[in-house]
Amino acid sequence: MKHPQAYLKAGAAFICLVLGWWLWQGAEAVQQASSLAGPAAHYVSNAARETGAANIVAAILFDYRGYDTLGEATVIFTTVTGIAMLFARSKYRKSSTGLSFIVKRGLSFIVPFIIMYAAGIVLTGHLTPGGGFQGGAVFATSTILFCIVYGSNFEASRIHPKAKEFTESAGAVLFTVTGLVGLVLGAGFLANASAGFPTGEAGHFLSGGTIPILNIAVGLKVGAGLSTIFYSMVKFLEVKVVAPVEGDET
Amino acid sequence: MIRLSYATAIMLFCIGLYTLMIKRNLFKTVIGLSLMEAAVLFLIITSGYIPGGNPPLLPLEGTSVNPLPQAFTLTAIVIGASDIALALAFIIKLHRRYGTVDLDKIRGLKG
Repeated sequence: MKHPQAYLKAGAAFICLVLGWWLWQGAEAVQQASSLAGPAAHYVSNAARETGAANIVAAILFDYRGYDTLGEATVIFTTVTGIAMLFARSKYRKSSTGLSFIVKRGLSFIVPFIIMYAAGIVLTGHLTPGGGFQGGAVFATSTILFCIVYGSNFEASRIHPKAKEFTESAGAVLFTVTGLVGLVLGAGFLANASAGFPTGEAGHFLSGGTIPILNIAVGLKVGAGLSTIFYSMVKFLEVKVVAPVEGDET
Repeated sequence: MIRLSYATAIMLFCIGLYTLMIKRNLFKTVIGLSLMEAAVLFLIITSGYIPGGNPPLLPLEGTSVNPLPQAFTLTAIVIGASDIALALAFIIKLHRRYGTVDLDKIRGLKG
């Protein structure tokens, strides 16, 4: 019984090494680009004029390829729906009462700053590295900290799960409506400057046309979505695990 | 230097693949999956590097690195995170059903 396992391991290691060598040959053959070419060159030289955003990655993400980002937001939505559905039938039970008094007091000082940090990342996503996805993830950490430090009961009583669902849907609706405005104005779905949105001057806070709006929409969506995912799993873990079922399903 | 970066990505990918193939614990399988994902993101980011490039932020001095792979990576990170969250949710469900996360002990999945 011992030997087949060893052979299996050796075989897997061999396959991995061969694959790694093969990939390495490919990586060696890649020509190192010395200057920008293709669409990237256009984006870098024209992003400020066409979108008004100082962060070129944000300009690509929310303007040139905004449709991709909508699809990406749909992926999060699908995941949240799937996880919420998987854990829908588990009943909520209060179990943890949280950590000690010192941690609770300490967290209550920190949380406003975490939320401020998240808001800063979302609102300046068109100027500096950051944006809706990153800021939303930072925002979700604050609710996760609530869950851990004060106990999930507190978190559920302060931030109702329905409120999170509503926030997430609001983010999705805001994103889609912003896109539809461009469609109504005859410039195409998720059009920015061509639909007449004021792009402002690159580097200023009020610039970028639809990009800050879409950042806020994605921030709402990601923050609420990640928070819902965590809450669903924690809620499930607090249910007493039943004995393993030897079911009759095959 | 750029070769070191490629080599790190490939090594990480192979370690993840080995974990995925050998480990029978489902949590370790998911760890392997996330390692492979990180390696792929690393490779994409590395491919956009331009010697002497600056971050793609205005005002720009000199040449900038390719911003397109960075935008793609942002997409891929979110999808990977969703992926892993869903996988972990299924593992929790499996643990509830069978009382174990070992693939060998889960009845009907022995191969």
